[in-house]
Amino acid sequence: MRRQQVVGNRQQATGNRQQVIGSRQQATGSRQQAAGGEQQARGKTRRRATAAALGVGVLALLTGVSRAEEPPKLAFVVGKVLVMDKADTVINNAVVLVSGGRIERVGKASEVAIPQGYRRIDMPRHWIVPGFVDCHNHTAGSLSDLNDMVYLSNPGLDTLNTVQPESDDMWMARAGGVTTVLLIPGSGTNISGFGTISKTAGQSVSDVVVRSPGSIKVAQAGNPERYWWGVGRMFMNFNTRQTLEKAQAYHEAWAAFERGETTEKPAFDPIFDGFRGLFRKEFVASVHTQIYQVVMTTVDMLARKMDLRTVLDHSEFDGWKVAPLIREALAAGRSIYTIQGPRAYHLDGTQRKIHGNAARWWQAGNPLLGINTDAPVVAQEQLPFQAAMGCYYGWVPYEGIKGLTRIPAEALLLDDQIGTIEAGKQAEFGVWTGDPLDTRSACEMTVIGGRIVYDAGVRRRW
Amino acid sequence: MSVRQQRLLSGSPWVSGVAAVCVALLTAAPAFSQPPPRPRPGGGPPRSAPPASNAPAENEPKKDDEPVEPEKEFFFAVKGGIVHTVSGGDLPGATILCRNGRIQAIGTGVEIPKDAEVLDATGHHVYPGLVAFRATGFHSGSDPSDGTDVYSLNMALALAAGITTCMSGDTVAKLTFGSVEDMIVRKEPLVNLNYSTRSPDARRRLRESLDKLVDHLRKVEAYERESATNKNAVKPDDKWIRGEAEKHLKLLKGEASAEISADRAHDLYQACELADRYGIRIVVRGAYEGWTMAPRLARSGVSAVVTPRARVDLDERYVRPTGSSIENAAILHNYGVRTAILPPGLSVSTWGVVGEDLTHFNMEAAFAVRGGLPQEEAIRGITIDAARLLGVDHRVGSIEVGKDADFCITDGDLLHYMTLVRWTVVNARVAYDKQKDTLFDHIRPEGDRNAPPPNDYWPRRLGSDWEGPPLPESRPQTGR
Repeated sequence: MRRQQVVGNRQQATGNRQQVIGSRQQATGSRQQAAGGEQQARGKTRRRATAAALGVGVLALLTGVSRAEEPPKLAFVVGKVLVMDKADTVINNAVVLVSGGRIERVGKASEVAIPQGYRRIDMPRHWIVPGFVDCHNHTAGSLSDLNDMVYLSNPGLDTLNTVQPESDDMWMARAGGVTTVLLIPGSGTNISGFGTISKTAGQSVSDVVVRSPGSIKVAQAGNPERYWWGVGRMFMNFNTRQTLEKAQAYHEAWAAFERGETTEKPAFDPIFDGFRGLFRKEFVASVHTQIYQVVMTTVDMLARKMDLRTVLDHSEFDGWKVAPLIREALAAGRSIYTIQGPRAYHLDGTQRKIHGNAARWWQAGNPLLGINTDAPVVAQEQLPFQAAMGCYYGWVPYEGIKGLTRIPAEALLLDDQIGTIEAGKQAEFGVWTGDPLDTRSACEMTVIGGRIVYDAGVRRRW
Repeated sequence: MSVRQQRLLSGSPWVSGVAAVCVALLTAAPAFSQPPPRPRPGGGPPRSAPPASNAPAENEPKKDDEPVEPEKEFFFAVKGGIVHTVSGGDLPGATILCRNGRIQAIGTGVEIPKDAEVLDATGHHVYPGLVAFRATGFHSGSDPSDGTDVYSLNMALALAAGITTCMSGDTVAKLTFGSVEDMIVRKEPLVNLNYSTRSPDARRRLRESLDKLVDHLRKVEAYERESATNKNAVKPDDKWIRGEAEKHLKLLKGEASAEISADRAHDLYQACELADRYGIRIVVRGAYEGWTMAPRLARSGVSAVVTPRARVDLDERYVRPTGSSIENAAILHNYGVRTAILPPGLSVSTWGVVGEDLTHFNMEAAFAVRGGLPQEEAIRGITIDAARLLGVDHRVGSIEVGKDADFCITDGDLLHYMTLVRWTVVNARVAYDKQKDTLFDHIRPEGDRNAPPPNDYWPRRLGSDWEGPPLPESRPQTGR
């Protein structure tokens, strides 16, 4: 709002347009309140029941279905466990006990006795690897709803309404050892809506959704430039900034009211209400960003100045040149995760050299580096293959596996739940025939929430 | 006696040309300012010598000093590597000796002639050059040896993937980087047929054409029998056999194989029936439902070119098994269907999304291993089996005596994701050397995983092994 006063006629026009969305959504919002109420009556607490957009009614119907029986008690006897913790622990000839959907105990087979009542699963030559996490997915929902390019920024939209459990894509994802994905809208507009963190197995929306909103999608350069004539980086950066600043002002007004600093209750705004979690650092900004200059803008504007938890998606071409700036910002306490992909390399035509993107980020000392597929650009099940390609072009395998497990789990603020094989965490892992990055290795079994959700012995999918 | 004098002495230009070559063979090799062109594999005069039939006319300006190449043996040897012959097991430390572009001997006790060019592959793996059943963008479409840019980035990238031979357009051609010599291996080994249920008209026309030709062949046979006794026997008219019919005749005579794009089971069955009915060799491309009917394909002798990674979801409208399977190649192999492997993309792309085209040809074979195909068989799918389906397995696809000296020499197991091609040899010539090309030289030089990022040299094109004038001081690394 502060910014609005400074801008010229053209921006005023944008402002008016946004006003129009506001009123339209207000109407939707009131319809939803009923649905939301119903949902709460069913005992489902969702952090952001009010600001959800269209289709929550359908959602409420779907949430009624859930699995009644308890997750089974399982004892995996395997050749190797990649714990992926900060001590880089690897346990050979290990046992992993699973009960109540969580990992109960992990240790050497000689030290961990298998109690009564556990189903013993003997795979003595196999490896247990944490379930892979993809921070950039478009296939966990209905793809046709990917890119609602109504306005140049569409801050109220939400992918929660497009979530589609048990699709062929999700079957393939877990056949590839991918267990958690962040479903985000496309990058056709500067702000294209909220992302949803979702499991790749589950029969209903409530089964699969881990957190909603899981992120806000911001797109800089590239795709949103095609929105209309005259939409360039200078305007887009302004547009993104002013939208986020409005949201921030809204959040601060409400926060002041909640703290009792003012008795004047701010007006409810369905567009910006969803953003409050972003400023409370409960979810991240997923940023479509690539190319040196653009990634620099992302780091500077979103991570440094606005202090948002920032996930750099893509970060391709010569984006790695921003690494020193990132190191500096990390040292200053900012949160920046680089989740690289789907382009694995950049051909520098002047130098006639092929630079591995992950390799260059890694060599430049970016410690928080992961990999994405942008599924369906690269099929979701090929997430580990993406990391393998990163290694072909100069990255190293252990870092690659870390970039599929612990790092993206941390990036999405899920590291207390998943990302490593440690007692107390959710039982979410793949059982592999060997190095999961090796194209020849296959995921034989996938466990999510303590249940076996894919078993190649029953039917191999991938 | 000079060549010119020889030409003057003999009246006929044809005779003079042949005589010139003879003389050149007899006289000692003159001193050349330029290195002489390499003799062609299999003998014959090098291309730089004027072909005999085109010998210059008598009154042409003097060309006496024009060098005429003597026939000279050229030896090339690869030593010290682990040789994976593909057709005859693995031979650690064996030497491969090549003479005039062909493999002459393989073994540990092979003596290398003094003047041989030797490639020391110690610590490396030597595979036959990879054979892509089909590729685009490496050669020009119509006539590879006339229109191909032999210095193109695409060709360099394909060589960096270990590919030495591919089917481009209707020609099997080699990736002879920097040269057009001996590029063509075979022309038109395949006849493309449209035999899909989606184009019933084309199917009907094809069967009609084949029926007509079968009838014609019977008549020819009858004529040949009859003409032994009856001088007045009338030869059947064959003037109408032109264009498509001519190609179809090649199929019936076994001179070419048919290539049919067929993915789903019903189209694959149709291909089998076509093979049974006319006794023609058929290669089906795609065949993602091949795993559902592998015994049928095997019985009809139909071969397949598959993409193990192909993903087609199952079709619930059918009662039979549908959709793709990662086990496709393994199942086809188990039933004895000869199977070649191709990635989803048939060129090399440079836009950054990788692993899906011929830049990582070996990875598609690795996906077949994931689906249960033994490693050796998967490697055959990108070498000898692909060569066999193209009808060029007498020349390429394995390391055997008498075959072309085409090698892909890697720094590790061919199907491992971090394996880089170190050298690619085509016709006994190093066509790609990772440390001399700038593309990959900075990635794990000499196997060093922790090698620092490359310096940003200026001028940039020269690369780290530049042997010319010294490079200026490298600029401070941007971003470091």
